[in-house]
Amino acid sequence: MNLVSGDDIGTQLLHSILSWDFLQFVVALLSIFGFVLTSATILVLAERKVMAWMQDRYGPLHTGPWGLLQTVADVVKLLLKEDIHASKTDKALFLIAPSVFIAPVIASFAVLPLSPYIQLPGAPLATGLIFLVAMSSVDVVGVIMAGWSSNNKYSLMGGLRAAGQMISYELPLVLALVGVVMLTSVLAGQSGYPKSAGDGIGTISFIEIMQFQNVWHHTGIPVLDFIFDGFTPWTWFILVQPLMFATYYISGLAETNRPPFDLPEAESELVAGYLTEYSGMRWAMFFLGEYGNMTIVSAVTAYLFLGGFSGPGVYFLTGLHSLLWGFVGNILALGYFVLKVYALCFVFIWVRTTLPRLRADQLMQFAWLILMPVTLGNIVVVALLYFMLSWAPVWVYLVVLGIVNWLAFVGFVFLVSRVTKTTTRRAQAPAIRAQLRTKPTVPALPLRDAVPARSG
Amino acid sequence: MSTNQDIHSEFIDTTEEYQQQEEGPHSQEMLLNMGPQHPSTHGVLRLVLSLEGETVTGCTPVIGYLHRGIEKILENRPFMGGIRYMDNADYLSPMLNETAYVGAVEQLMGLEVPRRAQYMRLLTNEMQRIASHLVAVGTYLLDLGAFTPVLWAFRDREGILSLFEALGGSRFNVNYMRVGGVLHDFPKDWLKECQAFLDQLEKNMGELEQLITGNEIFESRTQGVGYIDPQQALAYGLTGPMLRASGINWDMRVNRPYMAYREVAVNPQVRQEGDCYTRYRVRMQEIIESIRLCRVAIDKLPGGPISTRTPIALRAPRGETYFAIESSKGELGVYLISDGGEYPWRAKLRGPSFVNLQILPELLRGYKMSDTVAIMGSLDIVLGEVDR
Repeated sequence: MNLVSGDDIGTQLLHSILSWDFLQFVVALLSIFGFVLTSATILVLAERKVMAWMQDRYGPLHTGPWGLLQTVADVVKLLLKEDIHASKTDKALFLIAPSVFIAPVIASFAVLPLSPYIQLPGAPLATGLIFLVAMSSVDVVGVIMAGWSSNNKYSLMGGLRAAGQMISYELPLVLALVGVVMLTSVLAGQSGYPKSAGDGIGTISFIEIMQFQNVWHHTGIPVLDFIFDGFTPWTWFILVQPLMFATYYISGLAETNRPPFDLPEAESELVAGYLTEYSGMRWAMFFLGEYGNMTIVSAVTAYLFLGGFSGPGVYFLTGLHSLLWGFVGNILALGYFVLKVYALCFVFIWVRTTLPRLRADQLMQFAWLILMPVTLGNIVVVALLYFMLSWAPVWVYLVVLGIVNWLAFVGFVFLVSRVTKTTTRRAQAPAIRAQLRTKPTVPALPLRDAVPARSG
Repeated sequence: MSTNQDIHSEFIDTTEEYQQQEEGPHSQEMLLNMGPQHPSTHGVLRLVLSLEGETVTGCTPVIGYLHRGIEKILENRPFMGGIRYMDNADYLSPMLNETAYVGAVEQLMGLEVPRRAQYMRLLTNEMQRIASHLVAVGTYLLDLGAFTPVLWAFRDREGILSLFEALGGSRFNVNYMRVGGVLHDFPKDWLKECQAFLDQLEKNMGELEQLITGNEIFESRTQGVGYIDPQQALAYGLTGPMLRASGINWDMRVNRPYMAYREVAVNPQVRQEGDCYTRYRVRMQEIIESIRLCRVAIDKLPGGPISTRTPIALRAPRGETYFAIESSKGELGVYLISDGGEYPWRAKLRGPSFVNLQILPELLRGYKMSDTVAIMGSLDIVLGEVDR
């Protein structure tokens, strides 16, 4: 792609800087940074407004029109605030922890394309899922560092809770994605589907997984081409893997420490958990990282299950090879992407307003006794069905898999309520036994001589 | 630092003993000061918890951070002047506190209270009970991590406070009861507004119930947690919803009726299970029952004067008395001794929050840290009444 070819290293460097790839890199980098940082700010405001709407109140109202500038004011306040460190903290760890927490969040976005053009070119995209999963595991280090170095018992407990929780939920989180990756390897090379590396070789790149959810062939009818090129909702993986969609999303809730899994910073128990001793911009960095995490989980869900940034007109316009229409197409893609991500983030907020918090042991139980078997079972089902239906055309396999998964999804909803009820009953057992030991009905207390009020 | 440890060692006697028993990898018991500034200690209660991991092995409540000497203040105020200070005892149910105090004074003086005033007291008392229970339920769910119920509960409570404002001029410290009656008659259209509010409240309670009751996370957090068996409840002298949730049918409004409760039948809400969930259920049922009682009071509201004529300087005859009502938290008793003067010679409150709090260390032992807030929230204590 280099414009000119040169000999010495200086010229080569110059030329690589002057390349189109580099321009794309710069655009993507700036867009991603912009997206991460503004998205957090917007999400905070959206959360406050949506929660207010659900709770019959107004939310922020006075800063700017309809309170829209509230988070801007908050950020300015946080930037200007004094950065307090308590005297007995482990200073180095304490100061570095927020960076350790937020760096992987921003790095994760390297593999997430925002539109056909706005993506980092080259190798990082190909490693997609693995890179993202690795980055989300690094997060927990920052949390433990913060919890340990704060020299505060609440922080310590919050940090340890976070460690246990994030490590436990990492497994169902990753396993839920394996089903989709397996599907891509089944579909690779089938008619209508892309063939990335060869027949039967799947992909872990987000943009390629996205292309596996697109089977449109050009028909020549402009209206249909415009709408459906790259956008075929009937092939989205949510239709064949609804259970994994739900599992990934639930694990994502836990991974990002959102309610009902917000034990590490459970306000009513641990004050603010590992955030307790932080103030000013360091606190804001944790906050930013958390909302960034929320965006990442939503974005990954959008790519893997909801067709990513595809939408009516995107590929049609970018395929016209015109600068103007390409630009419009990219903006459209960004719009669809943001729409899907924020729709999923809305569910995050909705869950927060609705549900109380789990207890630590119930949280672990949910991960290891329910989510792990479910995700492992899904992998087995995907593979078994493939072998059983290898004689049939691929659409038969997809339909059967979809039906099985939807049935499993309904079963999952029942299973969850059944399991919680059983465990609750088990927890209740001592109380019930104690109750049985006492007399079934306690006689009413004998009436003492009531002193009558001399009125009436 | 050393002083801190001295303070701690005063509360912990099991630590060394415990550590000697431990074999293998040494695990250290952690001492955690929960409060007095903590989001879920409902004010300024301080719990000194000793934790083994997240399991609570011991708990010592430290109270007194909100002591204002209300009993002593009552002894230094004329009988009428003390009413206002009763508002601050259990600051979530001032109407009930005032009723207890004026009831005691009336009993001491042998005053007749007009029937209309009695019904007005019943109406305001039941509304206050609804308000108090709404706060109890809302903050309980907030302790458990659900954000919405508390705001819905406070929205409904706001309606009650607005009605009180129209009645006594103040939302919170109403200062509405008087020895011998009440301060004002209901303003014009107040009863109509009250009825409209009750209708709305009933609808809102349905919503709240739908949001909370039957939620699996809520059930698994509260069912079987903090079980109090009936004998234990009696031994600790628990009263109110705490007692009735343990299966003992005891309600001052029924068993020792006072004022208009002699004429209005109350259905005491009793449940058998005795855990946190049951205590929540009993409170929700009591709200519904109170709504019914309010309607009954409005229907049966008699005419006539709202207060007996009392001299400006009240003088109670020599003697002592104990008068107890069913407050939102349990039996709220006022014990007065009069030496024949204008001031009570001795005033003593039997605050249900204080008595109910005593069972907390017993309940917490062996539970997880998260259950601490679940159990403590279910006690529904108000520190204003505990410390007085």
